[in-house]
Amino acid sequence: MHLLRHDLAIAAPGILLLLVAFVMPVSGILLLGVQDADRNFTLMHLTRFLTDPFYVAIGWRTVKLSLVITAICFAAGFPLAYIMARGGPKLRLWLLIAITLPLMTSVVVRTFGWMVILGRGGLVPQLMNALGLANRNFTLMQTETAIVIGMIQVLFPFMVLSILGVISKVDLRLEEAARVMGCSYLQSMRLVVLPLAMPGVIAGSLLVFTLSASYFITPTLLGGARLPVLASAIYETATKTLDWHFAAAQSIVLLAGVLLLMIPYARLSRKANG
Amino acid sequence: MVKGIPSFVKIFAIVYVTAIVLFVLGPLVVVAGVSFTAGDYVTFPPQGLSLRWYETIVSSPIYLEAALTSLKLAVLVTVTATLIGSAMAIVIHRARLPGAGIIAAFFLAPLVLPTIVFALGLLIAWSAYMGGTSLVTLWIGHTVIAVPYVIRTTLAVLSTSDKFLEEAGRTLGAGPWKAIFHVILPQAMQGIAAGAFFAFNISFDEAILSLFLRSPEIMTLPIQIYTQLEFSPDPSIAAASTMMILLTVIMIFVIDRLFGIQRVAG
Repeated sequence: MHLLRHDLAIAAPGILLLLVAFVMPVSGILLLGVQDADRNFTLMHLTRFLTDPFYVAIGWRTVKLSLVITAICFAAGFPLAYIMARGGPKLRLWLLIAITLPLMTSVVVRTFGWMVILGRGGLVPQLMNALGLANRNFTLMQTETAIVIGMIQVLFPFMVLSILGVISKVDLRLEEAARVMGCSYLQSMRLVVLPLAMPGVIAGSLLVFTLSASYFITPTLLGGARLPVLASAIYETATKTLDWHFAAAQSIVLLAGVLLLMIPYARLSRKANG
Repeated sequence: MVKGIPSFVKIFAIVYVTAIVLFVLGPLVVVAGVSFTAGDYVTFPPQGLSLRWYETIVSSPIYLEAALTSLKLAVLVTVTATLIGSAMAIVIHRARLPGAGIIAAFFLAPLVLPTIVFALGLLIAWSAYMGGTSLVTLWIGHTVIAVPYVIRTTLAVLSTSDKFLEEAGRTLGAGPWKAIFHVILPQAMQGIAAGAFFAFNISFDEAILSLFLRSPEIMTLPIQIYTQLEFSPDPSIAAASTMMILLTVIMIFVIDRLFGIQRVAG
């Protein structure tokens, strides 16, 4: 009994912090989103979001961009995860550092880098101009392409690490067996490694999708005001129009989407680790 | 005979890894490049080399004040997040408290929940009940999102430590507090230290909470950079950004030395 009380004493500050500073504000949002000004229950803010064509378009853009980002992260991340799993420990360490460095750098700093690269006179437009693909004043800023590029840089590590965790447990002898039985190299990839890595691929995809749906600084800076996504709409509503009920309702939509995808994610990663 | 890896795959792998590394590190290299320009505009490659934009930021009261605010905040967050996170890790590791598993899942929630929802919640709660946001709001907010990292690194070390050492210490007459300070903490030190560096880095770089809760009193470095990006980027932003990148690089190497970056990722 004495020991339990001791444990409780150590845990108390943390639990208190979480309850007061995290659970209460977040549940406050959940309430605010379904209340009117007199604190009566209403679904009007939610129906406003789901019926106003402007917000429906924002929701659709968010889903579409997240899907594209997830697909590219998978296509680019799977080979890298494989190389990291099968390469030497030195290579693995350096690649790990290379992909986590942008992740640990401030979002404003790396987005600034993309603004320089993609903006007017930047490296990419210059290259496209030299290749005759675009005129001199071409810029990739304020486009969905820019948003996708900027987001992939940060979200890519999540995909790679999810897949890496699974692939490094795949027995190398299975691949060798497939080759001995007559598979070509690419066939052994497609028929052996990819199916075995599937839990990691799905977990990584769910994670990347939910994260990309809730980012707002990169889309705001690279896409501009003309291309709002759900998270940037929440920011605009909360800080410019100060309509907190509506901002809360939009957060509920975002949260519902994220939770819906997080449940299968939690199941998969538990299975992958256990 | 089965050939190992076909050569076209090897060539593809080399080209592909190079492309990926260029892609993920390119923007950071470009920022560093821009910061050394002698010209007046944000261009890459830079026009001439000089340190004039570094001189600009170290003599600019706006940047200095923002850096100081960020530093102060990051130190405060490091202290609270490390204390709370390591304490929670010990409790979760012992798994004596009923519902320790639920507590563990609960504490990782800030990692999964979109930060923007949490940020909005804090903004509304503090505006409604506390008469507006302040440095304290940001301190608390950053602590909540940094604690899971400290828990994770500390737990990783504790789970490989010898469980019986604590019992031995207790049998030899150490009270529960003494056991923590003389047995558990020294064992977990590596993980706690790595968590502390994580907490510092998270707070120093964080922009979402800082943007939502911003007020003139709490202009952090990332928010200063964000504001300038929205209006008139000049190479001084690149200089400030490069300092931040440098700090992150140092942090990663320190964490790797202390703890192993592979364990963080795994």
